[in-house]
Amino acid sequence: MTGTVATARREHAAPGRASVPGPSGAAAPGAGAVVAAPLDERLDLPRHAALRAVGATLGRGVTTAVPVLLLASGITFALGAFGGQDPAAAVVGDVAGPEDVARMERELGLDRPVWQQYVSWVGAAARGDLGASWFTQIPVTESIAQRLPVSLSVAGFALVLAVLFGGAAGIAAALHRGRLLDRAVTAVSAALTTVPAFVAGIGLIIVFAVLVPVLPAGGYVPPSVSVTAWLTSLVLPAVALSLDTAADVARQLRTGLVSALGENYVVGARVRGLSGRRVVLGHVLRNGVAPAVAVVGLHVPRLVGGAVITEAVFQMPGLGQLARDAAMRGDVPVVQGTLLVAVVVVLASSLVVDVVQARLLPASVRAA
Amino acid sequence: MIRRALSSRTGAAAAVVLALVLVLAVVGAALAPYDPLAQDTTVRLQGPSAAHWLGTDYLGRDVLSRLLAGARVSVLAAVVAVAIGAAVGVVPGMLSVFVGRVPAWLSLRFADTLMALPFIIFAIAVAGLFGNGLFQAMIAVGVLVAPVYFRVVRAAALSKHGAQHVEAAHLLGVPRWRVLATHVWPAVLPTVVVTTANLLATGLLVVSSLTFLGIGVEPPAPTWGGMLASDLLYLTYRLDGPLAPSLMIMVTVGALNALADAVRDAGGDSGRAAHAVRREVSRAR
Repeated sequence: MTGTVATARREHAAPGRASVPGPSGAAAPGAGAVVAAPLDERLDLPRHAALRAVGATLGRGVTTAVPVLLLASGITFALGAFGGQDPAAAVVGDVAGPEDVARMERELGLDRPVWQQYVSWVGAAARGDLGASWFTQIPVTESIAQRLPVSLSVAGFALVLAVLFGGAAGIAAALHRGRLLDRAVTAVSAALTTVPAFVAGIGLIIVFAVLVPVLPAGGYVPPSVSVTAWLTSLVLPAVALSLDTAADVARQLRTGLVSALGENYVVGARVRGLSGRRVVLGHVLRNGVAPAVAVVGLHVPRLVGGAVITEAVFQMPGLGQLARDAAMRGDVPVVQGTLLVAVVVVLASSLVVDVVQARLLPASVRAA
Repeated sequence: MIRRALSSRTGAAAAVVLALVLVLAVVGAALAPYDPLAQDTTVRLQGPSAAHWLGTDYLGRDVLSRLLAGARVSVLAAVVAVAIGAAVGVVPGMLSVFVGRVPAWLSLRFADTLMALPFIIFAIAVAGLFGNGLFQAMIAVGVLVAPVYFRVVRAAALSKHGAQHVEAAHLLGVPRWRVLATHVWPAVLPTVVVTTANLLATGLLVVSSLTFLGIGVEPPAPTWGGMLASDLLYLTYRLDGPLAPSLMIMVTVGALNALADAVRDAGGDSGRAAHAVRREVSRAR
């Protein structure tokens, strides 16, 4: 999925091609003057190509995501089915007699063949029913619906921060390549990749919650209560989680931009008297951004997984806490449901990233 | 290739650091000045002193001793997990070059599936449902590491497989296993080395994260991640508590990444394969 699209990202922006579409979909200034394409082609083609690219990416994404999802559901189910967790022993405890075990297994349908259990589990999951906790009887979908917003807001906020700050650092480094700023960005981002999110979280708590108490050290406030409190409760965890991704985005963007800056069309635009800023923002950024977007896609699973650790550091009631508590108790339906939802989130976000990439660079789809 | 990597300054420094960490992992427990589990409630949460070089934790246990004793579990778990992944992933990755389109597609989708599972949540699920032990956690991490090896090795082998001298060897009737051993393997090896260093760094991060959450190791046993978890609880009493275990993790991870870069820069690994390594490894974390 992401991989196949990401490999073929280099064939774009052939120097002579005049139809490198600008942000608005019109032919790029400067380049458009070189080749006089028929009017209708100049007006229509970029938009059509972009739409087609998005459609093709969506189609291909879904055809790979569905088998992956099915396989993942099989693995998830197998974890529970062969994990040797016994609902009767888990719920009734030590005093469970053989008849308790048999009754419990009959109630939960565990006396059927494994493949039948799997089929009914997947079928119910597709309708949004993931069963109920063995211990509390609370429907799994309900617990997840309660916890998912916490994890998604941390991971989403972290993604936004990573793209904003990593992107700015990468652009700045590329524009000042070889100079002090560039070396500083490179050094800092290399250092940041060695910092695990939970270590960064602890460091941030020490600085911004204990030494200079300006932000809460933990907890989560839903946006329905107070949007400002929600945002402040998210700042530290999101920053901690974003560092690694931001560093990678900065590095990849710098590499992509530096190689794009070496293309002939950049020299051409400069020779025609366009300002450096205009060349970078209008032409180079669009063509050099591909590896960075691919990196964002690769980081999504890491953000979702890392959110679990970050939640633990900042004591937020998210998906990770749910999974850990359930796993510790041997609450199989909850663990299975959480894992499956996490996989769905990961697959959906890689699909979104692929579509964004196709929208930005229609040529990449043709090349793939 | 390895020698050239070690002659570079960062490569040599990284190797020295890693050798030290490895020595600590093997003999660390013997070097510890105190019993890592011995409690002394009269000296709780103290800063560094002559008696306790790195201070004490909330039960009055010596931090230096726990750090040294914890090195073994933390490092060993990462090494075993990556070894499991390599054992499962490398050979199929090379062999996959020979199979037809359908098996290749299936195996790649299977690898994709494993890589779509978020590391930490999957490890939590495995450790929780199969019994909360270090071995279970290592298996879980190993299972998720294997597809990275598979894809990286496959990419490297594919790039070599198409080369003319390999094709010539095939045409001359050289058996497949010999082609693999004499032509493909030397080209794949540097990729495996770089991948291993990168994945060890990933493995150490994941193992520390899991022990931080209390997965894999029961509390009194010292681990770097577990020490951080209790340090976090008593942060207001001892602000510098998390510093030592954090530094151990970060220095080890940094050295592993630096070594991987040094090997790569030494030219052992180039072009398409290097690109694939970076892509797959960064996807795995």
